[in-house]
Amino acid sequence: MTRTLVSDDILEPGTGKAFELIKGQVMRIEQVKGGQCVDFNAYNLHDYKEFMHCGRTRTVHGFNPSEGDFLWSQPPRENALMYILRDTYGRNDVLFPRCSAYLYESAYGFHDHTNCNDIQAEAQREYGLTPDDVHDSFNLFMCTEVTQDGSATITRQASKAGDYVEFLALMDVLAIPNVCGADIMRTSNFALKPVQITIWEATDEELAAVPKVPVLRSQRTPDQFRNSQIKATRELIRDPGYVPQFTNVPIVETVLDIPLTPELAKGFDQRADRGLYGDDDGAALRDILFTWWEQKFLNAASGAPSLQSTD
Amino acid sequence: MPPEQETPNRTIRLSLNQQQLELLDRTVERGPATSRKELVLLALSDAIAQGGAK
Repeated sequence: MTRTLVSDDILEPGTGKAFELIKGQVMRIEQVKGGQCVDFNAYNLHDYKEFMHCGRTRTVHGFNPSEGDFLWSQPPRENALMYILRDTYGRNDVLFPRCSAYLYESAYGFHDHTNCNDIQAEAQREYGLTPDDVHDSFNLFMCTEVTQDGSATITRQASKAGDYVEFLALMDVLAIPNVCGADIMRTSNFALKPVQITIWEATDEELAAVPKVPVLRSQRTPDQFRNSQIKATRELIRDPGYVPQFTNVPIVETVLDIPLTPELAKGFDQRADRGLYGDDDGAALRDILFTWWEQKFLNAASGAPSLQSTD
Repeated sequence: MPPEQETPNRTIRLSLNQQQLELLDRTVERGPATSRKELVLLALSDAIAQGGAK
């Protein structure tokens, strides 16, 4: 089965464009000459307060999301907005922020310079969004590394003409790619090049191949928010009627007395992390307990949500 | 040399909050132990059996 073409555009250097991508449509972002980084934002088309969240995406898929991964929205929505259907180069980044005018002024002395924040903002303005709405970017065709000392670096890239990333929309989204404005960094090998944006209707086979993701009670919608109104003024003013309603507060501890046989006590003393917990046996045992639980029952990376579908 | 005496059992006071207890209770429901204490002892036994790095 072949795809039905919806649109085909070229993004010139220094530009970006907002595209309405309807659920079930595929957006391909393709290298025209090769070696060009593309910054990317995505919003729920019907509620711009839900957007692609690099932090959530990073915890699920790591620093370099690629083919087979999802683009997630922020807590407490945590919906899969898009699915990466294909990725011929395989180097994308959710570690670095978008470049900004500040960067080029502070580090290079430019008064005006192409930069992803301003390009994104200008492209999003077509849909009424402001520069404050630009979110952390998903950086396509961007090679980054975390070094052993914990710092992050950008390296040159080797994508070629024809390399592409394809996103399948899992809900109606506003998808905004922009040609990264960094021409004096390694990001795009010190040059700005155009990219091609093509949109199709996905085939039934492509839709059927998307893995199922959990649908959970904790994924809240605005009507479940204690404050569901979007704030429309800029100044922050305290609500005198505010009464905190934090979850599961107060946190109350209960003591369990755990009797150990001499043999278990000996094993415990060998196992307890005295360097961390000193002579606090309770803390050491708690650590052993939950470390065991993680090994035995946790079906996701530490700190990441599980993608195990319940249906 | 004094006659060998049996070492008395030792008790560890394990503080857990309501959320941690809930996780233990849900784990007990899955069947590996019949009580919170038994689950803790199972975790400790398994950890000791695994040995290796802490």
